[in-house]
Amino acid sequence: MVFNLPVRSMASPKCLLKLIGLAPLALLVLFAGLVLVTNFANFTDLAWAGGKEIVCASTTSTENSGLFAYLLPIFEGKTGITVKVVARGTGAAIELGKRGDADVVFVHARDAEMKAVEEGYFVNRRDVMYNDFVIVGPPGDPAKIKTAGSAIEAFERIASGGHTFVSRSDNSGTNIKELDIWKKAGLDAKGRKWYLEAGQGMEKTQRVADEKRAYTLSDRSTWLATKDKDRLDLAILFEGDPILFNQYGVMAVNPGKNPNARYTEAMQFINWLVAKEGQEAIGAFKDAHGNRLFIPNARLDAR
Amino acid sequence: MPLTLSVSGVHKHYGGNHVLRGVTFEFGEAGTYVFMGPNGSGKSTLLRVAALLERQDEGSVGYHSGAETLKADIALIRRITLVLPKVGVFNSSAFENVAYGLRIRGVGRKEIKEKAEKALDSLGLLHKRNQRAALLSSGEQQRLGLARALAIEPEVLFLDEPTASVDEKNTRIIEDLLVSIRKEANRVVVIATHDKEQAAKQADRLLYLKDGRIVVP
Amino acid sequence: MVFDKELFSIVTLSLEVSLLAIALATLIGVPLGVCLGRCRFPLKSIVVSAANTLMGLPPVVVGLVLYLILSRRGALGFLSLLYTPAAMVLAQWLLALPIVIALSHSAVAAVDPVIAQAARALGASPFQISMAVVREARYALSSAVIAAFGRVTAEVGAVFMVGGNIAGHTRVMTTAIAMEVDKGGFELALSLGLVLITISLAINVALHLFQRKGAQPSG
Repeated sequence: MVFNLPVRSMASPKCLLKLIGLAPLALLVLFAGLVLVTNFANFTDLAWAGGKEIVCASTTSTENSGLFAYLLPIFEGKTGITVKVVARGTGAAIELGKRGDADVVFVHARDAEMKAVEEGYFVNRRDVMYNDFVIVGPPGDPAKIKTAGSAIEAFERIASGGHTFVSRSDNSGTNIKELDIWKKAGLDAKGRKWYLEAGQGMEKTQRVADEKRAYTLSDRSTWLATKDKDRLDLAILFEGDPILFNQYGVMAVNPGKNPNARYTEAMQFINWLVAKEGQEAIGAFKDAHGNRLFIPNARLDAR
Repeated sequence: MPLTLSVSGVHKHYGGNHVLRGVTFEFGEAGTYVFMGPNGSGKSTLLRVAALLERQDEGSVGYHSGAETLKADIALIRRITLVLPKVGVFNSSAFENVAYGLRIRGVGRKEIKEKAEKALDSLGLLHKRNQRAALLSSGEQQRLGLARALAIEPEVLFLDEPTASVDEKNTRIIEDLLVSIRKEANRVVVIATHDKEQAAKQADRLLYLKDGRIVVP
Repeated sequence: MVFDKELFSIVTLSLEVSLLAIALATLIGVPLGVCLGRCRFPLKSIVVSAANTLMGLPPVVVGLVLYLILSRRGALGFLSLLYTPAAMVLAQWLLALPIVIALSHSAVAAVDPVIAQAARALGASPFQISMAVVREARYALSSAVIAAFGRVTAEVGAVFMVGGNIAGHTRVMTTAIAMEVDKGGFELALSLGLVLITISLAINVALHLFQRKGAQPSG
């Protein structure tokens, strides 16, 4: 029924806009155009605009400690390279690097890192710094782990007494360490009634442990940074066993596997981290409460 | 040259309904032509087909300027108009409603104001020009529809039930205007109505429509 | 409440990203929706119901698919768009587009057909008729755009996946809130939450106004 007629006279565009009466929408589009023009370089990858930047995949706990906010401006001021930190669990961070979506991976799961290096995904892995894991729990210590001879024995006491233990269960470095200890103790904790799988980050897991009057494995930096702020009624009940040593490493994505990886800039970052200046900066970093969270321990030989 | 209209042998179907069954007429000079007929006799359809808003299934609709037959393009369509029984006011001011036909013709701002206000005035709506058209009474909306049509100064003006669902006061305003248009005698006006009194009052020529045919009453 | 530079830059980036995404969705979605409402073509009903279905697209799925495409191993990896605001704009655009199309379509379809008839009787060309219908639907169309804006500003899953929540680069209100809660920074999270609530409140007030203005009283 539509009666199609040739369009002979068309109103001018200005008149058309008036006809449509969608001035607010036009304004919106205008504004967006302005944003696009003025911010194009920031909105897309800076590399396009000539700036140098790399993506560093790291862990949530490392980022939340505030270390990057302290270190990166120093590095950027010196080299002009922007480091964009994408914080995920350890497993996800390594995966990002394997896929080539990051240029550098900075995590704390030595075995997993070494495995990925052996598989050829990464090169030039270096130790950077360490902190350590501690077992925290209710100050009354119902499982009596304070007097345990090793972390393995402490875990055995928790299990045999059926005391509640909260696991992060998120494939993080801390979680990997915890599972390693259970394995060495010859215990299969998963599925037991007293074994809670939080599936959360370290701080939330601590809060769950606090609520449940339970034990959990934490890293010292998170513990120090959050115990007062979160008013945790927990205490360090076991520490100092070499198995609880938490080594942080950094490695570059292998440009042979991922030609798009920014290898040169990645190596500049790694070399800076393990050299005197980066090491001193790590040693000087303190959290809001004045605690020193990481101890630099880079050696000059590449792994 | 004034526009003249000839319709011959027009048929129109809607689904299974045979609404127009061979209508033929010719309006050769300026004046008011009225189609009378009961509801369902095909008046509205005939007006829409004659106003080139719908295409007939059979037969022809032709507009002429002197001896020349005009092509049914948008230039011709813009010389004629139809006021619908349900006006369909735009959701804007009364003034903008009347200005619409002029705007789409690319008329200048000053001329639009002049012509639109004149049209509003002729229907006693000038004081309501800034009001939202949708908030006007149904009688006022009907007048607005007529003002909207008059603003574009059509050479052929079709009116489908111009005073249906309009109160007495508004009916009088509309009818008075139609009378004055008739006196000017410079255009063809075609009215469809079922109101006998109105038909008698307005018509230079009266035609009866029944079951899709022009009949002698 | 904390009103510092960090909060300000997060809010600014959020607004820039969402407005840009919405503007692009408007530019493409409104004409498409109007076309759907005005034109007749084969398979039209399928296109319309596709748009309606995609309105409820789970953001995390959009994020995942977009991540795989923008990843350096993905089809568009060479653009290096992963973990940039541009990627977030793209994600929000994908979420907003079906909403804008579907709601524009129903806005235009809801316009009384007598409007198109009146415009045609007054001598409008087919394009001008469509414009008259669009003008009639302008408040409903604005509502469509505002509704889409409301959805994308509140979205967290997709922008987290493709933006990466990088401090100072791609950290927007929703991802910042999620992260701050994670690390116990409730103060900043609450401040951002208040800003977000204020924005969505403003959006709802605007929606309400437009809907009231657009409602034609009969007569």
